[in-house]
Amino acid sequence: MTRPIRLLIVDDEKRLVETLSKRLTARGLYVEGVHSGAEALALMQAKPFDVALLDVRMPVMDGITLLREAKKLQPLLQVIMLSGNASINAAVEGMRLGALEYLLKPANLEDVLAKIEEAFKKKRLEEERLAAQRAPGE
Amino acid sequence: MTPGDGADRGPGAAVRRLPPRPGRRAARGRGASSWAAPGRRGRAGAAPQPSRLLQRTMLALLLTPPACLVLFALAVVFWGPHRSAAFFIPLVTALVLSTVLGWPLAARLRRQLTALARQRDAFYEELLRLSKAASLGEVASSIAHDLNNPLAIMREEAGWIQDLMKGGDLQGAYTQVEITNALQQIDIQIERSREITQRLLQWGRDSAPQTQSVDVNLLLNKTLYLLESELQTAGVHVVKELAPGLAPVRGGAPELRQVFLNLMKNALDAMKDRGGTMTLVTRADPDGVRIEIKDTGEGVPAAALEHIFEPFYTTKPASEGTGLGLPISRWIVEKLGGRVEVESREGAGASFQVTLPTQQASDVDTAARRPDGVVGAADRSLGG
Repeated sequence: MTRPIRLLIVDDEKRLVETLSKRLTARGLYVEGVHSGAEALALMQAKPFDVALLDVRMPVMDGITLLREAKKLQPLLQVIMLSGNASINAAVEGMRLGALEYLLKPANLEDVLAKIEEAFKKKRLEEERLAAQRAPGE
Repeated sequence: MTPGDGADRGPGAAVRRLPPRPGRRAARGRGASSWAAPGRRGRAGAAPQPSRLLQRTMLALLLTPPACLVLFALAVVFWGPHRSAAFFIPLVTALVLSTVLGWPLAARLRRQLTALARQRDAFYEELLRLSKAASLGEVASSIAHDLNNPLAIMREEAGWIQDLMKGGDLQGAYTQVEITNALQQIDIQIERSREITQRLLQWGRDSAPQTQSVDVNLLLNKTLYLLESELQTAGVHVVKELAPGLAPVRGGAPELRQVFLNLMKNALDAMKDRGGTMTLVTRADPDGVRIEIKDTGEGVPAAALEHIFEPFYTTKPASEGTGLGLPISRWIVEKLGGRVEVESREGAGASFQVTLPTQQASDVDTAARRPDGVVGAADRSLGG
């Protein structure tokens, strides 16, 4: 039995978060949307997520800083960066810090969904690998 | 007010203040292109031109040692033992020789200095052209980023309408409300996109005509508009204290916009990681109009303060700063007969002050300085 993917969307564009959440919820995902890095970190302390969709350019705390902090809270979290500009530097920095993918706005929902599913699979594999390491005798 | 006069600022006693340094200092460190040039003035209305003084001083220096030597030799050889009239022969010869040899040398020096000044101006013209192109690139990139956000929202709204239509229940109250909201949102985002593209159009309009006089407050507002989203993202609050009814300053809008853009971008960069306040102040000044751009960033280290107007000097990482913004800005402002000053304390922000002569003031000033009514080429090279 597969549980729904727990997705966190962080973007300062409130309407984008709202509509994207509705569309992805309609596709069977469990979605939480917030509009700043601080809100995201607070929520992550309370709830585990499988995948996070982070906007790169946000006021106060940008997506790259949030990625770094989020990985500290939930090391297995798979992160997809979402940005309005094709900044190679931000993409490279994101990947270096462990982001799985880098998508450009406006992204096609089917592409976003495919990346989310791919990220979820990767997370499941890592969880299984960790579980096997913890219990080598079984 | 003199460039070093700090009487108008209260708590700034410990503040290090840097007045404009025409050419000389930079020449020591950075080569010929920064030499003082004919017509270069630290401030509007300063009568003698530094380079002319320099030329005369060099000529005097050139002629004095041989003349002294000759006179000394004469005194020893002729005057003492013989008291002869022959004393006058070498004296006259020395004077004639000094004049004949000295004048061409002085003329050559003057030609070289003029050529160096021309090279310096050509260098800065090229830098200005490049920095304008770079700014346009940055503005275009920022606009593309800003435009992609409304586009992303519109795509999701359109997609949501499609999702609802695929759901089948088109007459349901929920679907009706959702579709109406989505369509309204698309309209809002189209309006937002239109405002963003206006910025680029505005840039093009301001770049085309070489205006002769500039409304400083209007230009500051337009420049601010270009950086709006970057300031917002960086958490920088903008305070404007713009004096109404200021006389227009002399100069071209594209050049002055480059100056304001450079100074505002520096302020923005200084506060990028911590947010803060950028204050823009304009007011009438005895020398024209004074524009102050202040930030609450990390400030300029004392050691860096002396070098910030030198080409290629930068305290920013290599990928972010070229070290050309401030030298170009100062060159533009001084060409227009104005001056740039900076005061900063490490950890307590920086303040850049630009003083520009107004259209009328500079014309009156020029006429007073040149009673023959002839206006020097350097006085008009950018402004008119």
